Amino acid sequence: MFLEQLGGNLIQGLVLGAIYGMATMGLSLIFGVLKVVNVGHGAFVMVGAFTTLWVFNALGLNPIFALPCAFGLGMALGLFFYYTTIRRLIKAPELASLLATFAMGVLLEEIVRLGFGSEFRGYNWVAGKIDLGITVLPLPKLYASIGSALIALGLYFWFKRTRAGNAMRSVVEDSEGARVCGVNVGWAYALSFALGIGLTLMSGVLLTMFIPVGINPYMGGPYTLKAFVIAVLGGLSSPYGAFFGGLVFGLIENGSYTLFALIPGVEPFALTRFLSFVMLLVILLIRPTGLLRAK
Amino acid sequence: MNKRTHKYLPLFPVLAAYIVMFIIGDNVAGMWQLVGMLAFYCALGQAFNIFLGMTGYVDFGYVAFLGVGTYGMALALTRIKNLEAFGLGIIPIGLLLALVMGILLSLAVGAVALRLRGAYFAIATIGVNEGFRYLIEGAKIWNGAEGMIFTAQMNEAFGRDTASAIMTYWSDIFVLVIAALAALVTLVYMRSKIGYALTALREDEDAAKVMGVNVTKYKIIAFITSAGFAAILGAVSWALKTPYVFPPEVFEIHYTVEAIIIVLLGGAGTLLGPVMGGLVYGISKYYLSIILPGFQLLIFAPVIIIIILLFPEGIVGMLKARLKGTSLESFVI
Repeated sequence: MFLEQLGGNLIQGLVLGAIYGMATMGLSLIFGVLKVVNVGHGAFVMVGAFTTLWVFNALGLNPIFALPCAFGLGMALGLFFYYTTIRRLIKAPELASLLATFAMGVLLEEIVRLGFGSEFRGYNWVAGKIDLGITVLPLPKLYASIGSALIALGLYFWFKRTRAGNAMRSVVEDSEGARVCGVNVGWAYALSFALGIGLTLMSGVLLTMFIPVGINPYMGGPYTLKAFVIAVLGGLSSPYGAFFGGLVFGLIENGSYTLFALIPGVEPFALTRFLSFVMLLVILLIRPTGLLRAK
Repeated sequence: MNKRTHKYLPLFPVLAAYIVMFIIGDNVAGMWQLVGMLAFYCALGQAFNIFLGMTGYVDFGYVAFLGVGTYGMALALTRIKNLEAFGLGIIPIGLLLALVMGILLSLAVGAVALRLRGAYFAIATIGVNEGFRYLIEGAKIWNGAEGMIFTAQMNEAFGRDTASAIMTYWSDIFVLVIAALAALVTLVYMRSKIGYALTALREDEDAAKVMGVNVTKYKIIAFITSAGFAAILGAVSWALKTPYVFPPEVFEIHYTVEAIIIVLLGGAGTLLGPVMGGLVYGISKYYLSIILPGFQLLIFAPVIIIIILLFPEGIVGMLKARLKGTSLESFVI
């Protein structure tokens, strides 16, 4: 009985973990290329979620169609914030970019609150479910999970096979060297920031397929924390590390929920959140380069 | 004027500001509420500045120390039996408990986070407040998510009249005293080896290390001091002034944001900065909440970005540049 429950929760965890991983790739990409930590990460996830809400409720379309909208909006927001703010802060002390990205997050939250109000909203997408015997998996969750994996794979090939992807990797290796070889470093920075934000907004779309009724301007906070734990698990600067970190995190989160639920008199859900904070500190302490790095 | 008093000249404008705030609040009708709020913001900025301003490290989980301090005072009032026997003596006990809890939390967080630098430090601290909140809610410590209300206990311990005087009047004065003490400690640190070490650390941590500065030690000193003041501030301004504590409220990251705005606006690492920042932020927030209720953060978020981009030195930083070479120079740091 318990094992069945644990097994079921772990499957759910793996499915959710793919989204977590995808939701962190943008953060890792931006840190990897620009060495800027996007502290407002969760707010961008939230904007993605609202994009879905708008596409579903106002346009009456399938939430899948929100993906390109969110990506486009994310690229636009990314370019806007890059050229107005981030560009001037790359060489500044870290304090400046940390506070600036934090303020961007607050700004987005307040703008969305102004437009949509602060109550929880949601949408109802009926798409069926599959019964796996030990757990029931609604199809939207499965689609979201597969979508995440496809996007991660797409990013991988984009980096390996395209000219722009190669240019960006060369900037990560050695930005001076890349400049000498004729790579437009400023453009590579702008592109990776925009791409990172675009990915983050898309992850917000996929996330709503998990929590279709939990959409609120301030929903991003917990995802910022989770994204940091996952990014640190994966080594902070590697988008693929982040994806696998997400899978690991999803498994740990759902597995620990089942275990915490065995302890009488506690609130298991709150404890999983506490655990993610403890994990963050422990990983930073013992292995700041990430658990998934061989070196 | 001899050299010793000269060293402490910059304290005059700070203390003068606090005294003027008290006089205005005490004598102008209807101003006490505003003065109480401004006192809180100045104290918050003054305490946060000791760490953020002096080290250049951003602690996104700072509000956790205020929250823990609130719990310290709340526990003293709710867990001690026979409150009447203690009377007002319960306040120092609560403050001590708050201080100890704040320092213990800062040691636990600092032991991990202060080994890390820059971005990694910020990432490590960003979950401290949420983590602690979920520990309290999840493990149902100290009444868990239900929180505690202790108006009745305050009435029992101090008598109804004294309790209400503490809530509406003395707690605000106490906050002003905390702000002044934090300013004094800031100046003492600045004028001692600690200040020089932290300046070296802020400018170039590696160079400071190579020169033999024990950077870890001084970072920890600044971190603990700042956390201790925050805990006391929480105990006074949140527990004594409003006698209840709910985990989602006292661990709300919003207060960290306000502390950051105040310190940046006034000028990080300056003595007068938190006073200026606290006054400007508090007054504009107060009047904005009357003119445009609910729009404060929408306005302050771009303000943070603009300050970072255009005025990284803050108000006092610009003032310092203006006053250079004049006789007022030694009053403003």
